Amino acid sequence: MTDQTNSNEALLTTRNVTVTYDLTHEALHPTDLSFKGGEVTALIGPSGCGKSTFLRCLNLMNREIPKCRIGGEIFYHGRNINTKSENLFELRKSIGMVFQQPTPFRKSIRENILFAPKKHGRLHGKDDEDELVETSLKQAALWDEVKDKLKQSAHALSGGQQQRLCIARTLAMKPDVVLYDEPCSALDPISTFTIEETIRSIADSGAGICQIIVTHNMEQAGRVSDRTAFFYMGDMVETGTTQQIFSAPKDQRLSDYLTGRFG
Amino acid sequence: MANRDLTAHVKRIGSQDKIATGILTAIVAVVMALVVAIIAYIIVRGGGRALTPGFLTNTPTDDILPGIVYQLWDSFYLLLVTLVISVPISLGAAIFLVEYAPDNWITSAASTAIETLSSLPSIVVGMFGSLFFVVTLGWGISILAGACALTMFNIPILVRTIQQALEDVPRSQRDAALAMGLTRWETTLNVLLPAAMPAIVTGIVISAGRVFGEAAALIFTAGSAPARLNFANPFNFASPTCPFNIFRPACSLAVYIWRLTSEPTEGSTEIVWGTACVLIVCVLLFNLLARVLGKFLARRLTAE
Repeated sequence: MTDQTNSNEALLTTRNVTVTYDLTHEALHPTDLSFKGGEVTALIGPSGCGKSTFLRCLNLMNREIPKCRIGGEIFYHGRNINTKSENLFELRKSIGMVFQQPTPFRKSIRENILFAPKKHGRLHGKDDEDELVETSLKQAALWDEVKDKLKQSAHALSGGQQQRLCIARTLAMKPDVVLYDEPCSALDPISTFTIEETIRSIADSGAGICQIIVTHNMEQAGRVSDRTAFFYMGDMVETGTTQQIFSAPKDQRLSDYLTGRFG
Repeated sequence: MANRDLTAHVKRIGSQDKIATGILTAIVAVVMALVVAIIAYIIVRGGGRALTPGFLTNTPTDDILPGIVYQLWDSFYLLLVTLVISVPISLGAAIFLVEYAPDNWITSAASTAIETLSSLPSIVVGMFGSLFFVVTLGWGISILAGACALTMFNIPILVRTIQQALEDVPRSQRDAALAMGLTRWETTLNVLLPAAMPAIVTGIVISAGRVFGEAAALIFTAGSAPARLNFANPFNFASPTCPFNIFRPACSLAVYIWRLTSEPTEGSTEIVWGTACVLIVCVLLFNLLARVLGKFLARRLTAE
């Protein structure tokens, strides 16, 4: 449990982070949050509240959108990454992301896992590859279902399996942060449940991976997360342990949201 | 009362729907009938000659049965040279426009320029080709000059289809690759191009059909004089009779039809119809090939 010592300090901290679309429209007002290794943080709030926008700052994906600006400072391992000189490609090797829709590439299951590590020149020999495929698929709880068909197309898998493959693919990069952007919104309840279990088992594995999940599903946030942050109209309204957020909300907007008055 | 109104309304829109469907069906039937009629007419007029043994393999100067072997070879060779030049350029232009081009007036001017190129009359492109490639660059009436003129037609179609194919790849695939720390170029090469490949191949083959039948742009650039080729000695590249020499004049099937029609000789009518029949069958085959290849690639790339 050497990771426990690391997890006491924040892995990722944002200070006054804002997002501006089209150079004028501020979609996210200054937000301060910090995330620790081994923890699962849920970002909740009604549609358009800025939770996904915030998430896409953490690996600087917002920079891929034309005329979108990220303001403020984002500290990753104590270093501000929201600078012009930051190497996006290096950064994203250690901050992975899983999207709303499963996005397997048109390749075999095995190649989906190996593709990026190969490109980054991290693999040496077939044994290395086999091991990475197996450990990543096991971490994502997919190994038993696909171990006999690794050469088959990833598109032949069910939606839930595809999403777990995407998680496995992300873990194969050996990231210390994984971002999930509503990973279950395109899935059925059973697949959703498996994904949640996967996220929990990654958190409990002691690997010290910091997981941040955007969800519009409050029950899901309750089931998977240790901490929760509530966003509303581009503001980060309240944050705390998940238990505290759900049982003793301080802000009126949060308690209205939790009781279903809007959202 | 309200109920009766509703019944009448349902009846009315029901019959409107029937009339509209009828009209649309009739329009489609007219279009299909036109295509079938033209193709059937050409095949009936020229099919006999086209199928006569020797027509495809004899030289145009054959005493007994003048054939089209040189024209057939030249058509395919011109097509090949054209594709070798135009596919890389179009691929590059399309990738740039879709993936890299900033959203500004220069980009939109470039897109407009490409579209304008596609609507230039082919005879004008031929004139330009004859002045620029043939005279200014000093290539003479040659396959290379002809292929360059054909490239100018082919680029707009190819850029459009490749652009469309790349844009049809879901945004999420691009994001997923970028989020894994791949560069834009790695993403394009390893994720987007394979995903767009079936549509790109289909586009290339369909454009090949169009290039294959082009005449006006070739008359002043590749020439219309029947070449004399020596297939027995194909690797003497400097020789004007070398089939692979790109600096010799060439006469494609379509240009041959034009030449024989404008300067008829005895028995040339039969040759014209036979050539037309061969040409149209080739173009149909290109379209068929495009469909088959596209489907095959799509199946191979999605479910191995």
